[in-house]
Amino acid sequence: MTALDEYRAQARKWIEANLERRGAGDAGALRPWDAGDDSVEYFAAQRALQRRLYEAGYAGITWPKEYGGQGLSQEYERAFNQEARRFVLPNLGVAGGATLGVCAPTMLAHASPAFLERHIPKILAGDEIVAQFFSDPDAGSDLAGVRTQAVRDGDRWILNGSKIWSSGAYYADYGMCLARTNWDVPKHRGLTWFLVPTDARGVTVERIRQINGNSEFCQEFFSDVELTDDDVIGGVNDGWTVTQTMLLYERGAGATRGEGGRPGTGGLRRDVVDLIAAVDGADDARVRDLAARIHVDDLARAALNRRLVALMAGDPKRAMNLASYYKLSAGMYDPIRAELLMQIGGRAAIAWDDPSTPGAAAALALLNGRFLAIAGGTAQMQRNAIGERVLGLPREPSFDSTKPFRDVVRDATNWSGRVS
Amino acid sequence: MTVDLLPAPTDEQAMLVDASVRFMEAEHPLTTVRRVADGADYDDAAYRKTAAELGWFGLLADEAQGGGSMSGNGVLDAALIAAERGARLQPGPFVGHSAVVHALATAGGRDEVLAEVVGGTAWATWVDGSCELRGTGDDRRLTGSTPAVADAAACTWLLVEVHGAQVLVHADAPGLTVRTLEGLDVTRRWSTLEFADVRVTTGDVIECSSADLSSLAAVLVAAESVGAMQADFDVALQYAKDRIAFGRPIGSFQAIKHLLADTSLWLEMAKGLVAAAATSLGSGAPDGAELAHAAKSFVAERGVELAQNCFQVFGGIGYTWEHDQHFWFRRLASDAECFGSAAAHREQLFELVGTGR
Repeated sequence: MTALDEYRAQARKWIEANLERRGAGDAGALRPWDAGDDSVEYFAAQRALQRRLYEAGYAGITWPKEYGGQGLSQEYERAFNQEARRFVLPNLGVAGGATLGVCAPTMLAHASPAFLERHIPKILAGDEIVAQFFSDPDAGSDLAGVRTQAVRDGDRWILNGSKIWSSGAYYADYGMCLARTNWDVPKHRGLTWFLVPTDARGVTVERIRQINGNSEFCQEFFSDVELTDDDVIGGVNDGWTVTQTMLLYERGAGATRGEGGRPGTGGLRRDVVDLIAAVDGADDARVRDLAARIHVDDLARAALNRRLVALMAGDPKRAMNLASYYKLSAGMYDPIRAELLMQIGGRAAIAWDDPSTPGAAAALALLNGRFLAIAGGTAQMQRNAIGERVLGLPREPSFDSTKPFRDVVRDATNWSGRVS
Repeated sequence: MTVDLLPAPTDEQAMLVDASVRFMEAEHPLTTVRRVADGADYDDAAYRKTAAELGWFGLLADEAQGGGSMSGNGVLDAALIAAERGARLQPGPFVGHSAVVHALATAGGRDEVLAEVVGGTAWATWVDGSCELRGTGDDRRLTGSTPAVADAAACTWLLVEVHGAQVLVHADAPGLTVRTLEGLDVTRRWSTLEFADVRVTTGDVIECSSADLSSLAAVLVAAESVGAMQADFDVALQYAKDRIAFGRPIGSFQAIKHLLADTSLWLEMAKGLVAAAATSLGSGAPDGAELAHAAKSFVAERGVELAQNCFQVFGGIGYTWEHDQHFWFRRLASDAECFGSAAAHREQLFELVGTGR
């Protein structure tokens, strides 16, 4: 028996003794709009489960030992995941996903050893959930344009401003926050990352009511929040270096969220079939054509994802740029798909007596359809990335990359269209 | 430049593509395509002979029949060839010819004709239309006519679809009239076929389902279109980098950059879908027909839209005969209607899988 086999057998024994089996209908995957129970109490129970995983040595399997991980190779993590796939794992929601998938890996790459010793073991134990305090209300896709600022005051930092689109911040313990620390240099060179406790004096977290009725996104307001050098992640004013690592994890996670290897064949997707049945449209030539259009696009997207996975494997250096195709296809085709569903649904998709009907699902898909066209870099950002980094087209002129950020804001508010 | 239909071709596939591209660029480059479009002739027999030596026409036949695939998946290999041919607007009815090879190779019984088409001594094509076959045994009569068929006049053999059955007809058969048409795609010769009591024997009826041939032709014509999409796009992309307006290369404007980004997305999706369809169809996977209908439907529409977008990038120069873009534009718009329109394939797709998983 190899060490890996032995590990697998041990893991199986622990999983069977400690975790619940999944129900038949439980997909396990969590998307922003189908969180299910999103109460703080629910997540408290999930944190307890995460702690048991941590204490048994199954949290952070590939993470460094000195910070509470197991320091094992990827194949051990794969083995554990395979053994656990029919069991209920802790669900820390989207903020938990961001903590383990984006924030903590970025910290591991840039934060000081003392910082990592303080936080990473608690993150793995479910004691610290870190939300993403990335976008400002004034800066989303243009992340380097954030105006939330931290000002040095003796050995403290004073944080003021606001963050938005932080998923699950209402149950998080911290936010990983990008702030401007120097206005007199070009925008990319005056940024610093901080870890901000959500219960610090001067921090207010508000849940945002979204167009689909859920309230998973939050906005935070910072009023003279006191931080210290211990809270800094990476170098002061070197925040853009850290950001690039963060974006790698953020986009990497996005790229692998696609259907990956599955061809998507074997018939229309369930939501389309159910909607056709609901409107009794199987013999209606118009409905048949609309449904086939959806299926053609679904198959083309699945085929694109398989092609991208293969292209990325063959050329890892181009992988990040090619991932923009995945994001653009979702941003372009999710709204089209939703509109085609609405056309099939007709009036069954504009009013219903039961929100579980296919018509209501079509309406929800319409409201959520532009999610990936906007979140995490708009479709226009993907088009720029594809145009310049994949197709090699010449760059846009830049108005903000060389002059002090203070002047950028001033000039943009007095825009003449003339560039000196 | 190659189309790169597959992200990772095998060595054998790469060799087939390289040798084929070298042949096309030497024997029938774009300058020749242009002369033929203006009415000149080319040495069709020599073209066919070398193409056959490269193995183009045997990909869908067994080695015992004088053929053999490169990768073990003849449909995929043929799709690779079709894509490179489409990029270079190559002559001859390769898609219809391949369908005939497949029909004869799987049905058997007409080995002498199969040898001709695999060996490249004759062109053949697969023809649909509104024809009727009456009578029994060796005394049957084929009547009716076809819509526009590409390069039928160059063919020695025609495989005619009649209510789900296939009938093999020699071009010299009494009662067959080949009437020349003018065509949108000037890189090809177009004609309509009229069958007036053409005599058909039992041996002329080829046992091959129309659905199989339709899937195969759909994938190969879509592959050809993907090649034309790539070639048109490459020229438009270069133009966007070179053309100066308002003090900048026009490709630096987001209006152009974003148009080309969206267009390249369709090209990548088209490649992925056509490769998936050819892979499944050629390996006998259960989703071959489903993917074939989807591929033809997607490529027919996005191919024309790609050409429209490229045309817009070219601006006025694209409206001239001297610029090459109209050849790809014409090819893509013609291919979109051949071997089943987008709407026809969507209807077949719904019929096949509309009840869901």
